[in-house]
Amino acid sequence: MKESHLAYFYSGDDGLSDVKMTIVSKKGKERIREFIMIRLDIEEGGNQKYYTYFKKPSDVSRITFMVHKTSEGNDQRWIYIPSIDLIKPISADDKNSSFVGSDFSYEDVSGRHWTEDTHSLKGEETLDGKAVYVIESVPKKKYKGFSRKVSYIDKESMLPLKEEYFNKKDKLVKEFSADKIEVIDGIPTITVRTMNNIKKGGHTTVSFNKISYNVGIKEDIFTERYLKNPPRKYIKK
Amino acid sequence: MKKAIIEFSIKRPWVVIGLAVLITAFFAMQFPKIKIDTDPQNMLEADEPTRLFHAATKDNFNLYDFIAVGIVAEPTAFTPDQLNRVYRITEEIAELDGVIVDDIMSISMVDDIKQGAGGSIVIEPLMEDEIETDEEAQHIYQRIMNNPILRGKIASDDGKAVAIFIPIESKKISHRLYTEIKEITDRLGGNAEYHVAGLPLAEDSFGSEMFVQMAVSAPAAMGVIFLLLFLFFRQVKIIIAPMVVAMMSVIWAMGLLIFTGNTVHIMSSMIPIFLMPISVLNSIHIISEFHDNFKKYKHRDATIRHSINELFVPMLFTSMTTVAGFLSLALTPIPPVRVFGIFVAFGIVVAWFLSLTINPAIAMLISDKTLRNFGKDTGEQHGMLAKVMHSFRNFSHKNYKLIISSFAVVVVVAAVGLSLIVVNDNPVKWFKKSHPIRIADNAMNSHLAGTYMNYLVFEGEDEGSMKSPELLNYMLSLQKELAKDKTVGSTTGVTDIVKKIRYELYSEDSAKMVIPDNSNEIAQLLFLFEMSGGNPDDLFKFVTPEYDKANLWVQLKNGDNMAVSAVVDRGNQFISDNPPPVGITAKWAGLPFINIEWQNQMVSGMQKSLASSFVVVFIMMVFLFRSFKWGFFSMLPLTITVMAIYAFIGYIGKPYDMPVAVLSSLTLGLSIDFAIHFIQRLRVIHKRTKNFNDSYHEIFEGTGRAISRNVMVIAIGFLPMLFSTLVPYITVGAFFFAIMIVSGLVTMLLLPSLTRMFKKTLFN
Repeated sequence: MKESHLAYFYSGDDGLSDVKMTIVSKKGKERIREFIMIRLDIEEGGNQKYYTYFKKPSDVSRITFMVHKTSEGNDQRWIYIPSIDLIKPISADDKNSSFVGSDFSYEDVSGRHWTEDTHSLKGEETLDGKAVYVIESVPKKKYKGFSRKVSYIDKESMLPLKEEYFNKKDKLVKEFSADKIEVIDGIPTITVRTMNNIKKGGHTTVSFNKISYNVGIKEDIFTERYLKNPPRKYIKK
Repeated sequence: MKKAIIEFSIKRPWVVIGLAVLITAFFAMQFPKIKIDTDPQNMLEADEPTRLFHAATKDNFNLYDFIAVGIVAEPTAFTPDQLNRVYRITEEIAELDGVIVDDIMSISMVDDIKQGAGGSIVIEPLMEDEIETDEEAQHIYQRIMNNPILRGKIASDDGKAVAIFIPIESKKISHRLYTEIKEITDRLGGNAEYHVAGLPLAEDSFGSEMFVQMAVSAPAAMGVIFLLLFLFFRQVKIIIAPMVVAMMSVIWAMGLLIFTGNTVHIMSSMIPIFLMPISVLNSIHIISEFHDNFKKYKHRDATIRHSINELFVPMLFTSMTTVAGFLSLALTPIPPVRVFGIFVAFGIVVAWFLSLTINPAIAMLISDKTLRNFGKDTGEQHGMLAKVMHSFRNFSHKNYKLIISSFAVVVVVAAVGLSLIVVNDNPVKWFKKSHPIRIADNAMNSHLAGTYMNYLVFEGEDEGSMKSPELLNYMLSLQKELAKDKTVGSTTGVTDIVKKIRYELYSEDSAKMVIPDNSNEIAQLLFLFEMSGGNPDDLFKFVTPEYDKANLWVQLKNGDNMAVSAVVDRGNQFISDNPPPVGITAKWAGLPFINIEWQNQMVSGMQKSLASSFVVVFIMMVFLFRSFKWGFFSMLPLTITVMAIYAFIGYIGKPYDMPVAVLSSLTLGLSIDFAIHFIQRLRVIHKRTKNFNDSYHEIFEGTGRAISRNVMVIAIGFLPMLFSTLVPYITVGAFFFAIMIVSGLVTMLLLPSLTRMFKKTLFN
């Protein structure tokens, strides 16, 4: 599980990509969010820093968002609101809450640390022609996000191809799928992924473009100064 | 034709009874297919724009009908013990089948927008877990008071009451959920008072109780009628006939209704209660006539022939006029009322036909020997009824001028009363004041922002048009205007979310609790809401994800149509005085709004149908009596009865609601009956006697007794309905009583006086 977690959330030492998020409601109506995401791993499998610059919808463009993720304690998040020129910390108590109104939670985006759950291998099978491990994860502490999760992990890339989230009543509520995997800079990467919200209806599809790894991102980008003034080197408006 | 039917019934009673039983069996077999529908929304046509818009609004904003649980605790509900109980109760309610868990509004389920550590914004559950200290309980109270989205809704300002709003998948399960919620609150509730309220609950529970009431009140009425008939006629065998006719008519009408695929609505559930008196009336006339004449003819077949001959025409016309009254309901725009009118009319035709066949058939099965004392023991000239009729005769003979002028005064006084009628309805008030649903409604609406929810929906042409500061400020001024009405408990819109986020963003600075002046800031504040852990679904109850429509929740403390109308009118007035920003429209939705819509349609529809049946009945009377003058006089008892009863309603301030409206056709149909019998028989007698005084004398004998028997049987027979727990049933019982007494009195006082006064012109 750790290996998979690292392959999924810690690809390379840093990463940069354009992200397009399409949130589709139960009734089939679409909302688009486009942003640039910069990631720096401070330590493999440990602390990480994220920087997000929103481009669309146009009325929220130039909003920037930063996360200092720690493997043990609470994450720290800041948001910059350009219309009032204000930086605000955002509380990170509930990692299960929706990320920008999508079907992905914060944790689905940045990863739930593997030590928080107890994992067990349920079997091995093939999924879409790929050999996978079937792993069941049960939270050690009572958790709102799920009470049981079943992951189908590709033996070759160690990336999750599918994840099923079950609630308290053991009903399938959310389903993750890796729709497209590409090898970028030698690193297998899920470039299109979907979270299907079975309970509420609707789904969110995220596609990653212009991905680059190990670009040598500096840690000073992840400070309040750069929230107000996005690093031009990486952010092309 | 008439002869053939009657002769057949007399000669082959068993065939007639056998056939009737067979047909009855066929219709009775339809009963298991019964489909019940208690949704007042179905008072409107399925494609009625108001209804479609309401459905679209529910769909656009993911809204559900809800049940509200109110908890009242003294001196405060904000103690760890009480809040923990609310917490546990909510947890269990969330497990119930058909509850939309994510949308439950309860202290333990809602999110609060607040300041977190380091000046951060955080949106998180108001009460994450059970609490231990009074400080925690007080903190929760303070947070609610500080949050315009929650204040008044889930807790009262005095802290004594808290509420849980439970959205449900469908109205049809509200009664079941009510029972289950009651079980939970009884078990986990502690010392506080628990109330369960909400329009869907009232509507669904009414459906359940309605059938209980039917099962109780219909047989009770039958029992009392049977007893009264026995008192009058002292012959069990002969009074079985009216009972059989009534039961068969009800079964045929209801059976056909079910067979034709119609649903049994609140309205049509009343069909049996309406049909029973109507069908008993004809039989009583026949038996009464039979009773009074048996001594003369000595044989049942001769007596029957005589009775039916005497009564055929008046019975035909009394039935036809009542049919006209109910068929006129088919002209109303309200589907259940149409179904009701048509099937009552059918039942009346059946009752008329069965009275003519079953009564003779059953009488034929009784031997002349059994009947030998029939009609003797009450003594034609000496019974109580006879004495009462004689005093009526003497009184009207002497004081006819006084009687006529008194009724003129009654008409004037009634006209004033009619103008006092207040049109109002509220499904919750279909229950008696002492009913738990009424008590809950009172308790919750006096403490909290209300259990009735209307929506005012703003629609723009473009996506994003709901983010304009101009629109949000407009919405805000409309909210202020609506808040002036005391019915409005609270209004909540996207405006409140924007203001609240801004307030918390600027460290609880009240000056910042306003709508920003540019749409980007509005968009970014709402984005912040979604970024800070706010559930997007909470936002999308107030605005569509595309921001082309916004929904202002208007929470009402009173579901009376009158009160709801006042709020709607106030809003509409404001909108027409201050037009919304260009390209934006505002329209109402919500269950209370739908209720006022169908009430408006019903009131105008009933006026039309009453007016048209009045005209039809008048034409029928002119035709029946071949005389305009007699036709005119025959309409007087009806007119005065309708006026007097509705004026009484105006004076006592009882609202003109659905049952009262529908009863106008029954009043019309029944109150003409006595006049028809009176005039028809008077003229027949006069033809024979050729002397007014003799005819006048005679009409108070047989006819007078028959009418007074009818008055007593129906008026008293339906009194058990006054003990019903459902107000519409009480109303119906009271109406039967009033119709009989008033039209009986008018017929036996005014008509004799008028004929005496105008005898020259009338008997020319």
